[in-house]
Amino acid sequence: MTDTLLLDVRALDGGYEPLQIFRKIDLSLAQGASVGLFGPNGHGKTTFLRTLSGIIDPWDGDIFFDGVQLNRPGARGSRRWRNFNYDAITRRRMDPKAVARAGLIHVPQGNLLFPDMTVAETLSIAPYASRGRANAAETLDKVFRLFPRVHERLGHKIRFLSGGERQMVAIGVGLMAAPKLLILDEPTLGLSPKLRGELASAIQTIRGSGVPLIVVDQDIAFLEELIDTLYLFDHGRISRRIEKADMPTHEEIMKLMFGEDHH
Amino acid sequence: MTLETLNLILLGGIVLGALYALMATGLALVWTTLGIFNFAHGTFIALGAYIAWQIASTEASGAGLLAGAAVSIIGMFVIGMLVYYLLIKPFERSPDIVVKSVITTLAGATILENVINLVWGPRNKQLSPLLGGDMSILGITISRNEMAVVALAIVILAALGVFLQRAPLGRAMRAVAQNREAAQLMGIDVERLYAIAFGLSAALAALAGILIGSIRFMNPSMGSDPLMKALIVVIFGGIARFTGPIYAAFIVGLLEAVMTYLVGLYWSPTVLFAIMIVVLVAKPEGLFGRYRKSV
Ligand SMILES: Nc1ncnc2c1ncn2[C@@H]1O[C@H](COP(=O)(O)OP(=O)(O)OP(=O)(O)O)[C@@H](O)[C@H]1O
Ligand SMILES: [Mg+2]
Repeated sequence: MTDTLLLDVRALDGGYEPLQIFRKIDLSLAQGASVGLFGPNGHGKTTFLRTLSGIIDPWDGDIFFDGVQLNRPGARGSRRWRNFNYDAITRRRMDPKAVARAGLIHVPQGNLLFPDMTVAETLSIAPYASRGRANAAETLDKVFRLFPRVHERLGHKIRFLSGGERQMVAIGVGLMAAPKLLILDEPTLGLSPKLRGELASAIQTIRGSGVPLIVVDQDIAFLEELIDTLYLFDHGRISRRIEKADMPTHEEIMKLMFGEDHH
Repeated sequence: MTLETLNLILLGGIVLGALYALMATGLALVWTTLGIFNFAHGTFIALGAYIAWQIASTEASGAGLLAGAAVSIIGMFVIGMLVYYLLIKPFERSPDIVVKSVITTLAGATILENVINLVWGPRNKQLSPLLGGDMSILGITISRNEMAVVALAIVILAALGVFLQRAPLGRAMRAVAQNREAAQLMGIDVERLYAIAFGLSAALAALAGILIGSIRFMNPSMGSDPLMKALIVVIFGGIARFTGPIYAAFIVGLLEAVMTYLVGLYWSPTVLFAIMIVVLVAKPEGLFGRYRKSV
């Protein structure tokens, strides 16, 4: 079963020590498919994605990507003594650089990138992850075609960019890493409607060029056009998995997520 | 003050400045990359000088200064990486790593200093000069060794600047310094880069130690005064840019030389600190600083 899936997450637990944020997450992605995550603020979507890319260690469960297990199998040992530095005696359960080099690329929410580096320098670092999986010059061309603004700003420092431009660079950096699966965490957060549209269509193009995506967004209509499966995220659990064919309307989802809670 | 004395003061200041620039840049490299302050840096200076002495001096192995410098610089690179893995890495994910690393690097400094004492004893030693003799420029006579020290420091710093600016590894180091998590997500091996930054910093300390050892006497605590000066330089110059501490180093070196002449050796640190406080009140980010990585 695993070999037909690009990503297979099984019963994943995790959070910020000592607080568990999500539990028993099952999520899978067939080759060439894309999924969306939708859920209220603060319910753990970003935490889950950070765990997927190895920034924080999973507590339990399995993550298979492209046929290999990314995390050390088994549950982590108990951490009974609050004041003991377990980091000194335990190995990390997941290695973010191995994840990125395997091709699972995460464009984090509100990515600040490297404030004092120029756009050109920033784009030149990303191929580190791809390790020759793609032709850097070609990919760079693709990024410029996708985001002409990035090309115009090449010599500017990241901290002088607008939020939208920075988001474009962040996605461009993700593409430079030659993703086999691209995670976009709220790529249109806090942008003006015009910029949102611009970014949305660029993301459509990326999807169209055959890059599978995991997208978190608060805009169901935008997600619907991109993805094959929608996962509803609720208090750190997947409360529902909806296939594209029976995608409900925004109102129905709102009712699903919040309706029953408000007796 | 005659022209002759003025020239001597200026020259002394430039030599001091070059040495401070080497030390401060090493210190700033670790500070910007890891966000911690390495109190063992001064001891790295002493250890580097003693290793070079062990290989170079005719009282010991007698293999010549070049061999001594090479062994010392490479050896200190490795020792720097070891110090990182033993003293810094265990606290890497702890939120108050800044405070903890003060204790661990101070501990490392004390232990290493005792090792130096144990192995080489407290007696003063000296390395042979890089170049012998004097030369004269524009009618003033200066020692060729001091000129070589200044030139070498400038060349090494320029090379380091180009490395950080252009080489993929150097760029990756700057990236990690500015946003560790984003760098990790790009597949950069953060741990390895931290170790390399520590190693490079220790290698720069070794070079500074060798240069100091070729000008003055060496003793096991020869690094503590330069460490304090380097700290002043780093704070004074700010670390927004690679060149900040370098300019500041020459300013501090010249100030120190002038102050030593005007108010004497005893009072010059006091005046230096007073100037630094005034500068920091006016420009909290340092003389050349704009943005500082918050630690
Ligand atoms: N570094 C951290 N340390 C401890 N707790 C954190 C940390 N970051 C986030 N949290 C907590 O984890 C919970 C989940 O946050 P998370 O960012 O994963 O939510 P989210 O679903 O992505 O929300 P949003 O839609 O606002 O992005 C929140 O309650 C938050 O306070
Ligand atoms: Mg989020």
